[in-house]
Amino acid sequence: MPKEILEYWPHLSAIGVGASVTLPGLGGDIHGQYINMSLDPIDWPMNGPFSSTLGIRSALNCGLSKVEEKFTEELLLKPLPDRKVLAHFHFESTAPRTQYYGRHHHLFPKAIAQLVQKFSIREMELSFTQGRWEYESWGGYDPISSSSAKPPGVELWAVFDVPVDQVDASWKNLTHSLSGLFCASINFLESSTTYSAPELAFHPASVNLRYGTLPREAVCTENLTPWLKLLPCRDKSGISSLLDRPSIYRGFYHSQRLRLRHVKIRADAPDSDTVLEQTLTVVLQPNGIRSKESHSSKRKLHPTWSMSSLFGRKIEGRCALAKSSNVYLQLERDLVAEMKRLKEKRKIFDISVLNEDLIENPAFEISIKPDLVLREVLSSQTESSSLTYEYSIGKSASPNTFDLSFTWKSPVAWSCRKPPLRASRFLMGSGNERGTIAISLRSMGPDEGLNVSDMDKERCVLPVNIFQVVPWYIKVYFHTLKVFIDEKPMSVLDAVEKIHISPSEDKVSPGVMEMVLKLPCGVKSATITLEFDKGFLHIDEYPPDANQGFDIPSAIITFPNIEASIYFDQEITLKDLPLLSSFQEKNPIRYYTEVLLVPLTTPDFSMPYNVITITCTVFALYFGSLLNVLRRRVSEEERLHNAKGKSGPLSRLIAKLRRSKEIQPQSTTTSSSLFSSKLILKIIMVAAIAICWQYLSG
Amino acid sequence: MAETSEISEQKAELEKGFDPNTMRKTKPGVKRLALTLSVLFSFLLGFPFLWKSIEIYRAPLPFKDIDSLSERITSNPLQFPCGFQAIFVGFGSKTYEELSRLEYSIFNRMTGLTSKRTQCGSCSSNFSVSVTFDSDSSCTQKGHNPASYHCGEIKNVDFNADDEVVDDELEFVLGRSYSKGKKWYTVIVVNRDKMIKVAIGKYRHAWIVGSVSEEEAALRISEIFTKVFMNGGNEEDVIHGEFMPVGADGKIVLSFNLLNADPQDWIYDWDFDRIEETMLSPVLEALGHIANISVESQVLYHTPKSSFSHWDDERGAHIFSVGDLPFFVNSNEWHLDTSVAAGGRSKILHFAVYIPSAKECPLLLQVPDGDISETNGFISPMWGGIIVWSPPNCSRDTESNYQTRRKISSHDLQMIYEVFMGQLRQLFGLTSHNLFIGRSGGAIKLASEKGFTEWELDFLSRQHACSNLHSCSTTLSSLSRLVQSLPRMIIMEEIGKQVEFSLEAAKQAESDASLGIFYSSAGSSRQARSLAEDAFFHPSIMSVSYYSFEHCFAVYSPFFLPVSLHVILAALREWKRYKQEKTKYLTWVTKSNAAAS
Repeated sequence: MPKEILEYWPHLSAIGVGASVTLPGLGGDIHGQYINMSLDPIDWPMNGPFSSTLGIRSALNCGLSKVEEKFTEELLLKPLPDRKVLAHFHFESTAPRTQYYGRHHHLFPKAIAQLVQKFSIREMELSFTQGRWEYESWGGYDPISSSSAKPPGVELWAVFDVPVDQVDASWKNLTHSLSGLFCASINFLESSTTYSAPELAFHPASVNLRYGTLPREAVCTENLTPWLKLLPCRDKSGISSLLDRPSIYRGFYHSQRLRLRHVKIRADAPDSDTVLEQTLTVVLQPNGIRSKESHSSKRKLHPTWSMSSLFGRKIEGRCALAKSSNVYLQLERDLVAEMKRLKEKRKIFDISVLNEDLIENPAFEISIKPDLVLREVLSSQTESSSLTYEYSIGKSASPNTFDLSFTWKSPVAWSCRKPPLRASRFLMGSGNERGTIAISLRSMGPDEGLNVSDMDKERCVLPVNIFQVVPWYIKVYFHTLKVFIDEKPMSVLDAVEKIHISPSEDKVSPGVMEMVLKLPCGVKSATITLEFDKGFLHIDEYPPDANQGFDIPSAIITFPNIEASIYFDQEITLKDLPLLSSFQEKNPIRYYTEVLLVPLTTPDFSMPYNVITITCTVFALYFGSLLNVLRRRVSEEERLHNAKGKSGPLSRLIAKLRRSKEIQPQSTTTSSSLFSSKLILKIIMVAAIAICWQYLSG
Repeated sequence: MAETSEISEQKAELEKGFDPNTMRKTKPGVKRLALTLSVLFSFLLGFPFLWKSIEIYRAPLPFKDIDSLSERITSNPLQFPCGFQAIFVGFGSKTYEELSRLEYSIFNRMTGLTSKRTQCGSCSSNFSVSVTFDSDSSCTQKGHNPASYHCGEIKNVDFNADDEVVDDELEFVLGRSYSKGKKWYTVIVVNRDKMIKVAIGKYRHAWIVGSVSEEEAALRISEIFTKVFMNGGNEEDVIHGEFMPVGADGKIVLSFNLLNADPQDWIYDWDFDRIEETMLSPVLEALGHIANISVESQVLYHTPKSSFSHWDDERGAHIFSVGDLPFFVNSNEWHLDTSVAAGGRSKILHFAVYIPSAKECPLLLQVPDGDISETNGFISPMWGGIIVWSPPNCSRDTESNYQTRRKISSHDLQMIYEVFMGQLRQLFGLTSHNLFIGRSGGAIKLASEKGFTEWELDFLSRQHACSNLHSCSTTLSSLSRLVQSLPRMIIMEEIGKQVEFSLEAAKQAESDASLGIFYSSAGSSRQARSLAEDAFFHPSIMSVSYYSFEHCFAVYSPFFLPVSLHVILAALREWKRYKQEKTKYLTWVTKSNAAAS
């Protein structure tokens, strides 16, 4: 009997020892069950014959201890120097790579796991952005700006775990799947003219990397909803319930990002875990509860904000599925330094000693006391370190609702950490024929940039990676590359350490320029220029609104040697706080330039039909007149004419005109008055016709 | 010289009567007429060339074959040959006449029981019956059974044993005699002094044990043959063929979902991978002949139902009734439909376990007669099934905010799985009772570990083959209608190929069906359907880039309209003039002739 059972349960052998022990019982169950199961056939649903599998129950119980899928939610709030507030949502799901990966999931979104499985994605990042990140006022030297500041529109890059020749096919399929999943036109990235394969200047360098952007993609709620669908709690509970659509999209900057990675969490694990990182970065303007008195000092005061005033909602408890659910409030280095200065000033007047964590201070007030204060660890003691207050949702004493408010008491001015060089890109030249792209890098001031002593300045070199994709219809001449450092022309060989160029191919691939610039550390400004010709597109290739111009995607400028990381003094359980631990990762500073708008010559799109019509008419005229000439009898016509004299009104008119022509030479000499009166009559007639025409057609 | 003077005289005479308006002396020239006419003719000749040059490519489609296929399918539904054999054990020896009488009576009863209308995918019009009497002393057989049963073998089977054992032993004895192609369904009647017991095995046989007369046995046998083996054990004569939940590409994705209505109250999880491994995989293997099935599962949260339920004091539970079922599935919040695996035209069958929130727990389904449903679940044809599973004790622990994830106990999971299986069977059009109640009495149905017994699978594959061929022929005929209605639509070569292959596969399926090879017929019919759908949904057909006649006219009319006007007018004028001049000349000729004479 056991032999036969095994035939029907061949898979049982795969379960292991536990299953084989239960086999005799299983056999017994199969034989004994069905008679007891004879039930009334009236009850419409069924619980009949399948009880025979009861014996498997014991097999279900014995299971391997396995790594669970995990989900965390975090929100970071940060006041910005220009009276705005940054809110950075961070959701992370982790799934172990089991044999059921892509088929059976508990927390991890099945759709994403299936994508990873189907296209063998090793790494992927997809971002939808509206607005432009202001590196100068919102920061360009911190982990958030280097990872979450994205170019407008859609940006997608992916690294595939497939043989090199299959990467393009995987990319194309992936774009289609994603566009279906996120209700966006990501499928336009399928065409080989829109994506490129960076090799040098993009961060995770790999042969299997593909990169593409759609600068003109409009981002709205229909993209956010599928993004939220990937979260186990969606926007029903937890931190994500703050995402009130009108208040998010009212913001100055909005970037929704999805990042897939494979991380080996334990060293002994055979497979790496899939980590899905979903972030939403918004910059909001607090509505500012205006105080009644409006004297000058109050006007300088930053607006007071709270979560409910920013988002119009409060956090009603944590997402029940999240392993951790935290809100952070971050104060920048400069703000902390300013506080300390203020504190020193106050000390003169009253001797209230302020504690180091600045929870009580003269400048602002926080409504809820943080659970934990994290201090940044700095190498140098001269600067003051930034502070991060941690609130754990659900653990705090206040019942369920959490509404953090931040009240400014005295005006404070501070500035954020700026990127080492400010980059901007612009077009030079005029006309629809040619132009020049210029990328200019400017130092942010004497004190910013690198902390290098004067002695090192001579030898020290600042490497800068520039990655620029140019569509094929902008025909860039790479030999015209010019580099200016401190407004002095430099030879390309001196200034460029490495360069990788793949020229564009018409209607096949875009032009890609990757270069590593080596700039001296004390550089004030550096500019590179490239000349280009504007190409012509086929009539089918123009987008619907061609007169608007064509976008050149943002250039990416990376500073590989400068890392925007924040190290915290409390080493403790940072492992369970993915946002803070991601701050400690080595992220090179990344800077996206503006999107350029290049006007191209746009044709009149009704042209082909006009051309056809005109050509045909000319041909018809030619043909008709040729035929007429061929069959014309000149002598006979004359004879007829002479014989008949005036007959029809038309021929009479012709004859009259002819006669007047014959007379004309004489009349002009004889009577100028007659000539002038006739001429005036004619002119008046023509004018009348013209007026009529104008009136009728107009 | 006299002649010349005469002629000049004549001339002068004629000159007098000559009117240049009505007469002419010379023959009218045909030069210009020939010219204009030649231009006109070359124009007319040029038209076919132009027509040819602006023609679009259309792959030739076998319209006639498509029509004949659809005609065949509608007028003459697919029929499979089935063979039935009845083996009587312990009835003593019979003469050949008695045997043939018995066979005739079984055959007659079966014909009476099958519906008059020949249904697609059944074997109601093409079956054969053979009867064998197997007694200790003699063995008589009647009927054309090529795989003859070897007499005496059945005695080794101990009918007192457990039904499962009997079933397996019978399979061992009879299985050897099954030929590869046509499957024989067998009923064994064992005559002994006992209560009558009828059992239908999980292979292709049933047995009747007990003191039973031949006539009664014949009645029971014919009922088992027609109702069970032919119609899959469905009491009603409904044919579910059209509702076979298989995708056009022959794939099914079984998507299992665990829906936690409100995770703030409780969170339940399951070990679905185990279920798949231990219980689902044999089912999928068994159904492999019908469809290519893949399984996936997920757990969803914050998924309230969208219908209402009311509290019932008597039962101590929340009740929702059958009338609420259409509103139960909350398609706004239940994100069941995300599967990359189900690419294209696969069918997704959703199976959902709904765990109610604390304020509606326990939640029970009330069937129309007022009772509570035993399974607490329901199906929606072609969509899937839903089970409501209420947690064991409907109390939430309020102390901790962070919910621990609880597992559904394996006993409950087992029950859920059983209901799922029953729902799957219902979706395929099979009942799930383990009793068969006929007019002549009930019979016990043995269950298979695979979820589907072999005779059920036979029934399903017959149905499947039929429904596939049906949908293939409708798809192809609507494609041919579409193609014929749009004469200027481009048809790629690939579409022509697909249609051709589809027709070939359909033909193969038909021939397999006539030979009684169910599984192979189902396979070819699946291929035929999928190819037909591929052709119909070919991207080039979907695009609107067909070159319409209006478009063509708009492009060419600026040239051809004025030119043809010129040419035709010129030809007409010349022709008119030629006729006019000719009459002039003729009048002159007659006049001069008159003068001459």
